[in-house]
Amino acid sequence: MNAVVLIDTLLLLLVTVTAVAIIEVRSLYASAILTGIYSLLMALVWVNMHSMDVSFTEAAVGGGISTILLIGTLVHVGRDEKPIKKRLHVPALVFTALTGAALIYGTLDMPRFGDPAAPIHHYRVPEMMAQTVGFVNGTPGKQKPPEGFDVERYRRFDGRITGPIPDDPKDTAWRENSALRLEGLMVPQVHAAHEPHAEPGHHLHPPDDFNGHVPNSVTSLLAAYRGYDTMFETTVIFTAGVSLILLLRRPRREGYLQSGAVMSDQVILRVVSKLSIPFILIFGFYVITHGELGPGGGFQGGVVLATAFILYALIFGRAALYRVVPPPVSDILTGVGVLIYSGTGAVCMLLGGKFLDYSMLNRELPGDGESLGMTLVEYGVGITVSMVMLTIFNQLAEERST
Amino acid sequence: MTGALGIYNYWIYVLLMMIGLYGVIAKPNLIKQAIALGLFQTGIFLYYISMAVIDGGTAPVWTTILDGAQKFEGPYDNPLPHVLILTAIVVSVSVLAVALALIINIKRTYGTIEYDEIEAMDQADKRADYQRSQVVDAADDLEQRLEGHHHA
Repeated sequence: MNAVVLIDTLLLLLVTVTAVAIIEVRSLYASAILTGIYSLLMALVWVNMHSMDVSFTEAAVGGGISTILLIGTLVHVGRDEKPIKKRLHVPALVFTALTGAALIYGTLDMPRFGDPAAPIHHYRVPEMMAQTVGFVNGTPGKQKPPEGFDVERYRRFDGRITGPIPDDPKDTAWRENSALRLEGLMVPQVHAAHEPHAEPGHHLHPPDDFNGHVPNSVTSLLAAYRGYDTMFETTVIFTAGVSLILLLRRPRREGYLQSGAVMSDQVILRVVSKLSIPFILIFGFYVITHGELGPGGGFQGGVVLATAFILYALIFGRAALYRVVPPPVSDILTGVGVLIYSGTGAVCMLLGGKFLDYSMLNRELPGDGESLGMTLVEYGVGITVSMVMLTIFNQLAEERST
Repeated sequence: MTGALGIYNYWIYVLLMMIGLYGVIAKPNLIKQAIALGLFQTGIFLYYISMAVIDGGTAPVWTTILDGAQKFEGPYDNPLPHVLILTAIVVSVSVLAVALALIINIKRTYGTIEYDEIEAMDQADKRADYQRSQVVDAADDLEQRLEGHHHA
């Protein structure tokens, strides 16, 4: 048993116990705090499984924002559950037991944890990597196109292979006969062992993206391979912000300025928060800007930025926050983030590429273009996420309309 | 990893999902239901991330690109599930926020956030409406009959 599995086993036991406690504890306040603990444990589980970006998001969103939102709601709805006579709901228990048994029966067919032969580690992985990290002749990373390489012609060529790729990497005969070579173009290196789609008629990703400036493949998949998905994900968050405004914002004639509780008379809180807010903001911007270099990105950085504003509002009151970020400004910025994202895509189109084809932003060094495009997109996501989180906090904290 | 431990993670994912589902069905408190929905979601997150793990692998950040010298020889974990779950977490907080806003509005309208009490109030309202409509119908009926009598 290796360390990963051991830690995983123990952490998941803790997680399960916490989950039961969240459901069964009667005080909603305790439930909200336990949710924060649950999220932090989950963040550890994700780190243990090498999923740094997810861990970062879970810690910021689950451990931070969700808990604040829940507690903010409890102020309005009361902190205790109504006592129930019978603790155990038998029909629900039977139903969940049956569903769970069916699902567990389903898991018996799953590949074992960490199995390198699992289909997920083969299906389209080289293709995704070629598109995001940039494989040139089998080496990932920062490389310049070879002398006399015609990027434009490659873009027009759709890279269809004509014969099967043999298992033996030394067997290069197929390369000579491939349609790419017959066109007089370079044939990308393909590892047959990692190439489940090495059958005739399948597309090879042409090696035209000498990007390799985006080491964090999670971010590059997020912004390139699944760029549309992320764009609409940002739109979903924008929609959530709009819903909160529609559901809870007081009519404008009643005014925005509502202070709520102010804790600025507490010297320690005031000093510590004033000292830490600039660092939280810098950290947020750092996380967004370095999204394509290491763990982090627009979602995580946006949430971190929002926490700085929320901390300010908690200590100095929402009236003070509204002086710093007036609601009209935050409303407009939520839309601006989505606009930056889709605008980047549109600029790529105007420059002659496809929507969100970032390499168009720099014809000379497509890799730098990718890097630039992803940073722009991450900033769009970050602005929307931070301002929506701020709006959600403000609306949930706002007092009853009179 | 082989044997029963090899699919341990998938069992925990089922367990977490079912704890969440039990909460949604069994707890009448709407806040509890929103939290339970979140537990259900994390179960699914666990399922996806567990699939991405590969023996001897590491986080999918290509250090080669940064310094060019170091080269990690082993495999990288599959980044695609990470991407999917990363966005799913942020969507889940949006879902939670909208749910909480609706719950606050329900509290303002009904004065309670216990589902069974809300249901009872709705039923009582419906009954009252029905009775009121019965009374109104009877009154109309009487009026018409009186008018008919008058004309006659």
